[in-house]
Amino acid sequence: MNLHKKIFIGLLSLLISSFSLSEELLLKNAKVHTATDRGTLEKTDILIRDGVIVRIGKNIASSRADERDVSGKVITPGLIAPLTQLGIVEIELVPETRDDRSDIYSAGLSIDSAFNPSSTLIPYNLTGGITLSLTSPSSSGLFSGLTSVFSLSGSLEESLISSNIALSANISGGEDSMAAKVQLLGDSLALSDSVGLNKCLEMDLNKSFLPNGVNYSCRDLFALKKVVDKEIPLVVRANRASVILTLIDFAKTNNINLIINGAEEGWRVSRQLAEAEIPVILQPIDNIPNSFNELGSRLDNASLLHKAGVKILIGSHETHNAYLSRQGAGIAVSYGLPWKEALKGLTKNIAEVFKIDNRGSIQPGYVADIVVWSGDPLEVTSFVEQVYLSGESVSTKNRSMRLKERYISQ
Amino acid sequence: MKKLIVIVVIGTFSFLTLSSEETNAFESTYEPSSSGDILIENARILTGTGSEILSGSILISSNKIRAIGETLDKPINAKIIDANGKWVTPGIIDIHSHMGVYPAPGLRSSSDGNESTSPVTAHVWAEHSVWTQDPQMPLALMGGITTFHVLPGSANLIGGRGVTLKNIWSRTVQGMKFPGAPYTLKMACGENPKRVYGRRNSEPSTRMGNVAGYRKAWIRAQDYRNKLAEYESKSEEAKELEYAPTRDLELETLVGVLNGEILIQNHCYRGEEMAVMLDIAKEFNYKVTTFHHAIEAYKVADILAENGVCAAVWADWWGFKHEAFDMVWENAAIVDQANGSTGCAIIHSDSAVGIQRLNQEAAKAMAAGNRSGLNIPPSRAIQWITLNPAKALGIASKTGSLEVGKMADLVIWDGDPFSVYTKTEKVFVDGVLLYDNNNPLTPKSTDFELGIINSEGDRL
Repeated sequence: MNLHKKIFIGLLSLLISSFSLSEELLLKNAKVHTATDRGTLEKTDILIRDGVIVRIGKNIASSRADERDVSGKVITPGLIAPLTQLGIVEIELVPETRDDRSDIYSAGLSIDSAFNPSSTLIPYNLTGGITLSLTSPSSSGLFSGLTSVFSLSGSLEESLISSNIALSANISGGEDSMAAKVQLLGDSLALSDSVGLNKCLEMDLNKSFLPNGVNYSCRDLFALKKVVDKEIPLVVRANRASVILTLIDFAKTNNINLIINGAEEGWRVSRQLAEAEIPVILQPIDNIPNSFNELGSRLDNASLLHKAGVKILIGSHETHNAYLSRQGAGIAVSYGLPWKEALKGLTKNIAEVFKIDNRGSIQPGYVADIVVWSGDPLEVTSFVEQVYLSGESVSTKNRSMRLKERYISQ
Repeated sequence: MKKLIVIVVIGTFSFLTLSSEETNAFESTYEPSSSGDILIENARILTGTGSEILSGSILISSNKIRAIGETLDKPINAKIIDANGKWVTPGIIDIHSHMGVYPAPGLRSSSDGNESTSPVTAHVWAEHSVWTQDPQMPLALMGGITTFHVLPGSANLIGGRGVTLKNIWSRTVQGMKFPGAPYTLKMACGENPKRVYGRRNSEPSTRMGNVAGYRKAWIRAQDYRNKLAEYESKSEEAKELEYAPTRDLELETLVGVLNGEILIQNHCYRGEEMAVMLDIAKEFNYKVTTFHHAIEAYKVADILAENGVCAAVWADWWGFKHEAFDMVWENAAIVDQANGSTGCAIIHSDSAVGIQRLNQEAAKAMAAGNRSGLNIPPSRAIQWITLNPAKALGIASKTGSLEVGKMADLVIWDGDPFSVYTKTEKVFVDGVLLYDNNNPLTPKSTDFELGIINSEGDRL
C-alpha cells in the first residue's frame, strides 16, 4: 500500500469516526404521536443525535443530519411488549425450543442467559412495530421468575437493556386453594425478609418456616427480597374481582409494589385499583368468560378502568404475535378508551411502570426507538414501513417475508 | 300381508342404500320467526358476489332478500332503516368453529370436541356434543356471525361429522341446524394425530402412519359400500331370505363421503401433505372441499385452484406448532389470486376470540396482499368470510351473498367493516333482528349467563 493510499484511508477513517461521534438523523414532516402530554403533532420533524431524540418541532434544519422525508407517514415510539416469551420460545409445542420454564428455580429464575437475539420471532415482531420486550419466564408454579428488558435489535451482544426488573407470580389454576397460594406468597416474602445472604447459605431453609414440599434456593429468596425492598414490582396474574381486592390488600399489608396482569373483571373494582395506584396489564381482545374467575370479562374493561383513573398497559396474549397488542388497543378504543391513552398503554405507561428509563415516548433526551407507519398504528390495515433503534435504521425484513417472496410470483 | 311385510322390511333397511335418508335422524327443526318487510336504505353494500354498491337499498320480506339495488320502491308496510354512512355485508360465516363443543367456561366437564380414543372415529357427530347455551355464541353474533360450522377436534385422522348451525338461541341443537346443509367430515393431517397416538405407542406415530390410516379407512368404506350394493342388487325374494348388512355408523359416514353427500373438511398445515391428501382423494374417488388451518396453502395455491379446493386460513397465527412455522401474511391473498384469480380463500377463526372479528382478520389479510402487489378490493375480500365459506359448506344457494331469494342473513356495520374501529350495529338472521347495538336486550343471553355475577341481572 503506498503512502497516498494510507493517508487517504487514514483521513477517511478519521472522517467516519468523527461523524459517528455525533451522528444526526432528521425525520421530516411526519404525523408524530409523541405518547406524551404534547399529544399528536402534525407535519413535524424529529432530530436525533447519537441515537437520542434532541428536538421535535416544525422546520428543523441541520446541515449535517441524514435527512429522511416521511411526509404522509405516521410516527410513534417503538411499541413495548409487556410480559412475553420473546427470545426464549421458538415453537410452543416443541419443548426443546423453550427456555421459559424451570422446575429447578422458581422466583430466582433469571432468563437473560437463554435469550436468543436471532430467534425468528424477533425480526417478525419488530416488523410489527415492537422495539422492546419485557421477556418473562412462564413456569406454572407460584413464582415464574424474573422479567428482563430486551431490545429487538437482534444484536448478539447488546440486546439486554435491563435485567431482572420484575417478579411474576400466579395464584390461579392448579388444584390447591387460591387462599393457600396467597398465604404462601406472604410467607415466602416474609421468609426472604428475615434471611440475609450469609444466613441463607448456612441455614436449612426448608425445615424452618415453610409448609412441607415448598423449597426455595437462596437465589429464589434473594429475588423475593427485592420485592420486599420495593426494588422491583410483583406482577400477579388475576382476573376475578374479589381476588384483585385480595391482592390490593396484600400489597398494602406487605408494603410491596404490585402490578395486576389480566384483570378481566378489573372494571368491577376499578375505584379500588385507582385508589391503590395499582397498574394493570390488559389483553383487551380477550372477552371470553374462559373460567369461573373471569365471568365478567368484557370489551369495555380498558375504557372503564381508564375512566376510574387506573393506569393501563396493553399486551397481547400470544408471544408469536406480541405485536397484535396494537389490534387489542384499537378494539379498546372502539369500546371507549381514548386513542391517546391506548397508545400510551402500548408505550409510555409500560416504560413508566417498569422503570425503563428514557424510553416509551418521543421527547428530547429519550432513546430514538421510533416506528414509521403507513397510517394509524392501531388500524389493522396499517403496517410498519421503517424502524429506528437508538436512531439507527434497521431492517424490516423477516423470515415470513422471505417465504412470501419465494412463492408469490410462482 | 306378505306385501306389507316387504314394505316394512324395506322401510326399516332402506336407509342402508340411501345415505340421505340416514340424516332423517336429528333433523333440523329451525324455523325463523316472521321478519315482516324491512327496507334498508342508503347503505354502502358489499354484496358478497364480488361487487360493491356505493349507495343502495335492500328489501327483506318473509325472511328472504326480495330486492337489492341502487333505488328500490318503498313497500307500504315496510319498516325503513336509514343506513346512511353505514355498510351492509352478508352475514359472516365461520367455517371453523368449536363453539358448543369447546364452550366457555373451558372446563373438562364440557370439553367435548375430541373423541381421542381411536384414530378413526367417523361414527361420532359434533352436534351430539354441542352445548346450546355456550356464552360464546351471542358474542359471535355481535361480531356479525350468522352461520357457523362446528367441527370435532383434530386429535384423530378422521374425527367425525361436523354440523352447520344458524347462530340463534335455541334449547336444542336441532333448533339451530342450518336447514338442508350437507353433513361434513373432519379429517386431520400432520402433527396432532401422530402426537396423540404416538405418545401412547400406537399407530399413527408418524406422518406415513397417518396416511396408512386414512387409506385403510377408505378401503373399509369401499368394502362396505360394495356389500350394501350387492345386497341391494338382489331380487326382492332373495332379500327376504337374508338379513341386510348390519348398520355401521362409522362406515355409513365414510360411504356418505364416497357418494359425494358428505363434504370433507380437512385440517392440514403443510403444502406437501395437502398434495398427498389430494392424491388419496383421487385414489378413492372422493373430493376434499376445504383444507383448514392451511398455513402453507400459498406454497400449493395453484394445485388447490386446479382441484377446486378451498383453503381456510388465519390472517397471522403461527408458531404454536412446528407445522405452523411457515406462515405468511399474504396467504389468503395468494390463494385467492392463484390461476388467474380462480382460487378459493377463506378466513376462519378456530377461536372464540377470533370469530368475533373475522372482518378484521380478513382486513389484515387483504391489506397484506395489497401491500405485496396483489389487487384485492374489499368487495372480493368480504367473500373470504361470506360466499366462499358458504360454498365450502354446500349452502351457497341459500346464504353467503346478498342476492334475491337468499336467506336475509346480513349485517349493518357502523362504518367500514375492514377497520378495527368498526362495530356491528344490526345483525339479521333470516331477516330477524337478533342483535341491535341500540337495544341492550339483544343479543338474547344464554341460560348460563342469567344471574351469574349479578343475581338480578345477566352476565354483562
